[in-house]
Parts: sequence; structure tokens; C-alpha cells
Amino acid sequence: MPESTGTSGQAPLQPRTAHPHHGPGPMAAIAGGGALGTLARYGMERALVPDALGFPWATLAVNVVGSFVLGVVVTLVVERWPGDRWLRPLVAVGFCGGFTTFSTFALEVDQRIRHGQSGMALAYVVASLAAGMGAALAGTTLGRGRLQTIPGGPGLPDPDLLAGDDDPVGGSGPAGVA
Amino acid sequence: MIVLGVVVAGGCGALLRYEVELAVRRWLGPAFPYGTLLINVSGSFLLGLLAGLAEAHGIRPGPVTVVGTGLLGAYTTYSTFTVDTVGLAERGRAGAAAVNVAASLALGLAAAALGLAAAIAL
Repeated sequence: MPESTGTSGQAPLQPRTAHPHHGPGPMAAIAGGGALGTLARYGMERALVPDALGFPWATLAVNVVGSFVLGVVVTLVVERWPGDRWLRPLVAVGFCGGFTTFSTFALEVDQRIRHGQSGMALAYVVASLAAGMGAALAGTTLGRGRLQTIPGGPGLPDPDLLAGDDDPVGGSGPAGVA
Repeated sequence: MIVLGVVVAGGCGALLRYEVELAVRRWLGPAFPYGTLLINVSGSFLLGLLAGLAEAHGIRPGPVTVVGTGLLGAYTTYSTFTVDTVGLAERGRAGAAAVNVAASLALGLAAAALGLAAAIAL
């Protein structure tokens, strides 16, 4: 539905039927990076274990740090090192995706609301949003060397995909301005 | 042993996220991060369900940690959510960025609560 209504003047999305054959290497890098990121998050949760319904510092920390690192890496691999084949599956899709978590964040908010800690839940949501977005913006700005100020300019790719998966239309076309 | 399970499950969760992201992008196109939204909402529901089952039906903590912290923790992602949102805003699509934040929060929190309630009611 989005391509029929929104982005006028673009070529229609070309359906690619075959799976892009990245081969076993990049898939192993995603799995390996994801395993390492998960291990690091598990370690953080063990190290910063709070009271059962205390403030979830560990999840906040991994989500903010991971947002910063992903912002740097995604910008670097797209704008500085477009030929790199390993950083994106290993660090962007794998490590940062495995390190950060949305499901734990959502459950922690719900559990605090359920147990009458709505104030803490709200503070946790606000802190996660403000610090997470700020960290992502700081990361992309650092990776790029400047703030992106051109509304129709080249955008960031999907951080959870690899180079061959990016549709040429996606995220970078000047007509992609809503 | 639990650490090993968490690590292996984390690798599987990352691969699963990549495959879902790819499939949703083919299906709905690149204009909006529907894939990450679907991943985070479905993962939040499943984690709520798991936490509810653990709480109400006494599942041992080991498997809960492997599936919850390992598989679902790695399957869902906060960093892609924030970088996607910043990317939308940078391209002048502030409305889409705001919709992404509002939808991720509202649907993600509701999904986790629904999973939790469903498991406790079982």
C-alpha cells in the first residue's frame, strides 16, 4: 500500500522473488554478533540487578549505548566505507540488535504500572525515548561528521538489513520526502 | 549452562529478526519501518506471555531466561527503532517519525500487557 499512495514519481517497488544469497558468511556474522550482543546484555543485567521493581538501569543503559553505536556504524558503512561487507552484519544487525531490546523494555514498563509504580514507569519511558533518540542522533552525527540538514538528501538505510537487501528506491530517493 | 543457552538463543533471535525484516520490507516497501514495528510488537507480546506463564504457572527460571533474555531479547531491538526514527526525522519526515514512536510505544506496551494477562488467565 505505501508505494501506491505515497511516493509519487518513483519507479514501483521491484519485487525480488529470490532470497539475496549473501552466503553463509554474513549469516554467521549476524548470528555471531547477535550472540555476543546478547551475552553483553545478559552480563549487564546480571551486574546491575536491581530490586525486583526498581528502576531498570541495565536495560536503559544497553538501549542507549546500543543506539549510539548503531548510529555511528550505520552512517559509517553507508557514507564512508560503502565497500565494507562485515561491519553491517556483525555489528549493526548482529551485535546492536542483540544487545538492545524492546520486549524487555515494554515488559518492564507494564510490570511497574501493574504494581502501582506508574511514576517510575513514566520516567523510564521518557528517559528511554529522550536518551535513546539523543544517542542515535549523536551517533549518526559523529559518523557523518556533520548534522544531516538536507530534507531530501540521502537517508540512513534500514539498520537491520544488509547492503544487497536495500532497494535502491528505499530511504535514499529524493522523492522520499513525505 | 544457562549462559550458553542465552548466547545460542541470542544468535537465533538476531537471524530471525533479519529474516522477518527482509520479508516485511518486500511486502510493504521501504517507506516506513513496518518490519521493526512488527518485530517489536510481536516480541513484546511473546515476552509478556512468557512472563505471565512463569508467574502464574511456575515455569523454571532457566528456560524463561533462555527464551526471554536470549531469543526474544535479541529478536526485538531498541537501537533500530531509535536510528530508524532519527533517519525519518533527518529526511524531513517528522510526522512518520512521530507515528513510529507513538505506534511502537502504544502497540508494544499493549502487546506485552495482553500477553501477560492472557497467560495469567490461562
